[in-house]
Amino acid sequence: MLNKWFVRVFFSILLLGIFVGYPWYNIANPAGRTEARMLQPEIVWRFGEQHLILWGVALLVAIVIGTIAGILISRPYFRFAAPVVVNIANIGQTVPSLGVLAIFMGILGMGFNTAVFALIIYAILPILRNTYAGMITISPDIIQAARGMGMTPMRILARIELPLALPVIMAGIRNASVMVVGAATLATFIAAGGLGAMIVTGMAVMREQLFYTGAVMAASLAVLLDYILRIIEQEVTL
Amino acid sequence: MKGKRTTILLAVVLAFSLVAVLFLTGCDGDPEVTVGSKEFTEQLILSHLTLMALEDAGIPVRDRTNLGGTEVNRRALEEGEIDIYWEYTGTAWLAIFEEDEAITDPDRAYNLVKERDAEIGLVWLDYAPFDNTYTIMMRQEHADELGIETITELGEWIIEQQEKGYEVEFATDHEFMVREDGYPALQELYGFEFDRVHDMAIGLTHVALRDRDVDAAMGFATDGKIAELELVNLEDDRGFFPVYNPAGVVREEILEEYPEIADILGEIASRLDTETMIHLNYLVDVEGYEPDEAAEEWLLEQGLISE
Repeated sequence: MLNKWFVRVFFSILLLGIFVGYPWYNIANPAGRTEARMLQPEIVWRFGEQHLILWGVALLVAIVIGTIAGILISRPYFRFAAPVVVNIANIGQTVPSLGVLAIFMGILGMGFNTAVFALIIYAILPILRNTYAGMITISPDIIQAARGMGMTPMRILARIELPLALPVIMAGIRNASVMVVGAATLATFIAAGGLGAMIVTGMAVMREQLFYTGAVMAASLAVLLDYILRIIEQEVTL
Repeated sequence: MKGKRTTILLAVVLAFSLVAVLFLTGCDGDPEVTVGSKEFTEQLILSHLTLMALEDAGIPVRDRTNLGGTEVNRRALEEGEIDIYWEYTGTAWLAIFEEDEAITDPDRAYNLVKERDAEIGLVWLDYAPFDNTYTIMMRQEHADELGIETITELGEWIIEQQEKGYEVEFATDHEFMVREDGYPALQELYGFEFDRVHDMAIGLTHVALRDRDVDAAMGFATDGKIAELELVNLEDDRGFFPVYNPAGVVREEILEEYPEIADILGEIASRLDTETMIHLNYLVDVEGYEPDEAAEEWLLEQGLISE
């Protein structure tokens, strides 16, 4: 038990160390004047903070919408709607994220709101589909047994179905989390900030250090957040 | 038996696909002049001017326009993937050679990059008089109302607003945020600072400005959309922005094979002043011409190609 938590804390700190240490080192050692203009502590950490907020808000809303919609379309009286709903979510996923941003920019203007909205659209599908899949693959025998024990449908959902479907749902959430960290690097195109600013700037002015700082931060953030979600998954599904 | 046939069929299809891929991607050794370009309107027009003028002179050409950004074109040129593309003196100096000093004299910038590239077998042909440098834009109406024509006047207005407690906002692309000739040095020289700076994709600064999300935005001197969106370029009255004159950059081997390229493109370059380039960009960005149509029309009008 102690051993397990030791490993978890160790790897979390290691990943956090990369997320913080790599930009820290680059801030202290910029390769040139151009790099130094962006590698300022307050600028870099602000990008990190914006990225984390984009991720958190988008994922939270997508979890709420995705799981509720996923449960609803797995119910017998809504199941007819399942292909339609899943395909609508598919569209949100198929249109390239940059395209989703461009579409909503026309409606919502530029900035944070549009970026979050586009990320939510993007993140719903994996959560929705996994929730649906997790719910419908539960053996009807188990539901029958629960019903035979006199459990109400609400109780069956809360005590039987959700716990059984949870590993699949969590896999969907983790999948969405990694995708959102990646897609959020595009938010910078519409003035919503995030780590993408360093990647895009680095590519625009051909300064690798900027590019790598943004890319390593985004990648280590994705792995770190996924690792934390994995710990949560293991704890709640035990 | 049936399973075996399917397997053979699949293997044949796979083999054909692989061979087809090899054929499609394999390069042959034609002595064609391959013309590359970056991905924005002005570059497409310049590359189509090149393609048409060379073709008119009987030189075999290959169209690789819209290839990618500065880095992609530059690498392609160095590796012989393309033979010619138009580069800007300021871009070569600051972005390709990664120099930190911003040069404001056209001849000096041109000579520096020309000498540097001669060492690796790349020839800079004569440069065009138009200068696609950065500018600071405002809404025409807003600028007229405030009586602002220069960046100095903009700076005075900004400081005035800030003293009254208002926030002044600015839209820029990512590149301008960190460049030597970009926002940090600009505000230092002119002595003002915006309260909020929004970095966004390159084409959006116009939109942000038009939609009143910001008070001023960074733009380009030869942009064809400025007048259409009722925006105006402010005068750089303290000569801050460096020069970005474009010139055809060609590989030496190709120039030895077709020495006439230097004269053909030199003639075109000499006639491309700022007004001409704004007009050509306007035809494509606002009037809906294709870049090759705009290029052809202008070349015919100038009598540089025959019908």
